[in-house]
Amino acid sequence: MLIFSVFKTLTDQRVTVELKNDLSISGVLKSVDQFLNIRLDSIKVLDETRHPHMMAVKNCFIRGSVVRYVQLPAEHVDTQLLEDATRREAANQAKR
Amino acid sequence: MASLQGYVDRRVLLVLQDGRAIVGVLAGFDQKSNVVLSESKERVYSMEEGVEEIPLGLYLVKGDMIALIGEIDDAIDQAVDLSSIRAEPIPAIRY
Amino acid sequence: MDPSSTGIQEPFDLIRLSLSERVFVKLRGDRELTGILHAYDGHMNLILSDAEETIMIVDPVDGNFEGQGTVKVAKRKMEMLFVRGDGVILVSPPSRT
Repeated sequence: MLIFSVFKTLTDQRVTVELKNDLSISGVLKSVDQFLNIRLDSIKVLDETRHPHMMAVKNCFIRGSVVRYVQLPAEHVDTQLLEDATRREAANQAKR
Repeated sequence: MASLQGYVDRRVLLVLQDGRAIVGVLAGFDQKSNVVLSESKERVYSMEEGVEEIPLGLYLVKGDMIALIGEIDDAIDQAVDLSSIRAEPIPAIRY
Repeated sequence: MDPSSTGIQEPFDLIRLSLSERVFVKLRGDRELTGILHAYDGHMNLILSDAEETIMIVDPVDGNFEGQGTVKVAKRKMEMLFVRGDGVILVSPPSRT
């Protein structure tokens, strides 16, 4: 839930999603759901000469399960807030 | 919600876990991102020859098999001469 | 030592105590990361800053026997990184030297 919330705060920011098939796609984060499926707009595939398959694709839906990394815009991530929220969630888990 | 709603009746590109690329019109989907495509074709990429399109017709693809769904900009897609494209197939997803 | 005195009773406590510290992460696909840990969850999804990734690429040398070959190491840096938990093999706290 925590990570889902983080992604929600990054809506409309440009991110780079690296997939488990080594494809890297940068785009504007339009939405995310509980499975961390991701919708990207204005996408650009890195190394497009090697991967022309998505030339005509301008926006896409990426299944959360195939994501390896997402590179985030550091200036839009409040690390202190993140750590506090993580500790809070960990404490909630422990109570259960 | 990262939903597929906006893609219904649009031409889409499906990239599957095994690296296959399928284009077609998104006829429907469900919660598990199972997908029905009409007028679908597989695009087979290789370095030896241009892209080969294999007609598949009406296809139901299980959500688990899907890596990515992209909306195709028809103007750009039609401007591309597929027979001139040489590329390795998309690698399979490896966990 | 009494486990309660260290504040570590279960595995995730070790990760919790590493928040805002540099951690080492081993991943599937011969990848390793170091970075400053800012967030994690029960799936071991992580958010790291100042991350450096190391990929080990085994190049099978032509005409060589199986199991041989040179290992290439590729490194890259990323400012802020979300790591999906299903690729994580281990998370190790910073070495206190």
